[in-house]
Amino acid sequence: MKMLATIAWRNVWRSRGRSLVVIGSIVVGIWALIFMLGFMNGFMISYINGAIRNEISHIQIHEANFKEDPNIGFVMPGGMDLAESLASDPRIQAVSPRSVTGGMISSPRKSSGGRIFGIIPDRERLVTQHDSLITEGSYFKSDLKNPIVIGKELANTLKVKLNSKVVLTFQDRENNLVAGAFRVAGMLETTSPQINKASAYILMEDLTRIAGLKDGVHEIALLLENPESETVVLPELRSAHPDLLIESWREIAPELELFLSMTDSFLWVLIGIIMIALIFGIINTMLMAVLERYRELGMLMAIGMNKWRIFMMIVIETIFLSLVGGPIGILIALITMYWLGLQGIDLSAYSEGLREFGYSSILYPYIENSTYAYVATGVIITALLGALYPAYKAVQLNPTEALHTV
Amino acid sequence: METVTDKKIVIETRDIAKVYQDSKIAVQALRDVDLEISEGEFTAIVGPSGSGKTTLLNIIGGLDNPTSGTIRVAGRDISKLKDSERIDFRLHNIGFVFQQYNLIPVLTARENVEFIMLLQKIPVHEMKARSLHLLEEVGLKEKANVRPSELSGGQQQRVAVIRALASRPKFILADEPTANLDSASAANLLDMMARMNQEEGMTFIFSTHDQRVIDKARRVVTLEDGIIKSDEIRS
Repeated sequence: MKMLATIAWRNVWRSRGRSLVVIGSIVVGIWALIFMLGFMNGFMISYINGAIRNEISHIQIHEANFKEDPNIGFVMPGGMDLAESLASDPRIQAVSPRSVTGGMISSPRKSSGGRIFGIIPDRERLVTQHDSLITEGSYFKSDLKNPIVIGKELANTLKVKLNSKVVLTFQDRENNLVAGAFRVAGMLETTSPQINKASAYILMEDLTRIAGLKDGVHEIALLLENPESETVVLPELRSAHPDLLIESWREIAPELELFLSMTDSFLWVLIGIIMIALIFGIINTMLMAVLERYRELGMLMAIGMNKWRIFMMIVIETIFLSLVGGPIGILIALITMYWLGLQGIDLSAYSEGLREFGYSSILYPYIENSTYAYVATGVIITALLGALYPAYKAVQLNPTEALHTV
Repeated sequence: METVTDKKIVIETRDIAKVYQDSKIAVQALRDVDLEISEGEFTAIVGPSGSGKTTLLNIIGGLDNPTSGTIRVAGRDISKLKDSERIDFRLHNIGFVFQQYNLIPVLTARENVEFIMLLQKIPVHEMKARSLHLLEEVGLKEKANVRPSELSGGQQQRVAVIRALASRPKFILADEPTANLDSASAANLLDMMARMNQEEGMTFIFSTHDQRVIDKARRVVTLEDGIIKSDEIRS
């Protein structure tokens, strides 16, 4: 085996140029693969984190019927107390109780339908960080009476500015239409088109007063300290409050789960394409190497080298190519990922379009350490697969014919 | 036909025929070849191009199968061996010397000499001692760590011969071993092989039309159109 390895290693450097091309393609293949995985992961994380951190949070609690019929009357009995008790759970980072209703948001010039959230700003900002996403005005810090924070795009639709008056119209507990006048205190720009275009935030006390609710909590949003703890916290909450509808972000926004699985499938297709390209590159090179050494292989077989050894010699040669290319590719990919992880990729040139889909303009590629090991293993397996056909061709040769090959 | 009978017969062919089916034309390369070669012979198989010399050598060496007839080498009918058995048989019984030297270009002269011994799993110390001894024998000790591309044609062929000899095969088949060598190198190589034949008792069979080889041979088998025309034993 040692001699086979020696011959295989020296054969790698026999056609230095050709070997370097294959090694280069392995390096580029690995780099491209890891970069694409990191980029897609970053995209996915940015999208999902954006949705979780700015909109839906990890877990939401509703009155059992509220999701099916978002009637303002379906409040959670003792909702505020529940929110308080959840806030003391160390596994829960932040809790925001909300009153929620649908209604019309009208300015003197235009009207638009949307969701109206009655919030406690100091609680809400800890869950959705909306205070950091204010583009104009402030997050409920002004002295305005009846302040309202709306999405930037909604403001544009309504053609309102800061301090402009808007009127919210919605049903009260008795299903009567009620209205309240509010002053625009701030404008918000998030990665969520839903929030930007059709959401309005007012103080919970204002909403409950106008709607005639006493304990007006329709929704409690929970942000977990560690997202992984969802699998423990969720069942616990469900068994403690069987009368409430308690959902994880996957259930609240199933499109995110779908997006995750679609991205996953897409990545597999991408990995497949890169690996197939690599396989064909390796087959091509090794086949050339075999055909070039036809006489030599014939001689080896003539003097008594058995087919298994010849097969292994070709396979080992291919493994060496991938063992040289693999670490270089992984090292370059590691450096690239590290650098991009710090710097991010500025996609602001496309950010308008990206924001429409809920992405942020700076993308931070991310890759788990285990992925490097998977990719390295994948490349070696690919190289092995690529070696099989050339090695098979090598052992199929007839030594008499091969020895007479010029 | 006269044959050598006082020594142990190592190769015995009976009614060997070989037909190559080249597209629609059948080419009869050998017909009714009966040949016995004894241990320690220094035999040249001669004849014009296309007379069947290389075909006969390939069949004796187990590289090719006869269309009909039997071939016994070292007591075994090698035409009945499976591919893998035949490779193993060649490894342990036959040494090859080719016209184009066919050394392994990525190995040094010494590694080339050791290669077959390595395949035979001969102990490392024995293998190294033998390879160095043989390289010294043929005056190439200084070139032991040099790759074939840095050796002259004559030097490469000497390495090829000692590679074949190193594993102590039952006999050595050499196909036109001097065809690519100048006179001095050819003479040098022939002297070396004759000496090995004498000293190691190794059987040599050449296919050649080189008069220098024919002159050195102690037995000359002449082939013409695939038939043995004459078999001359010299004193």
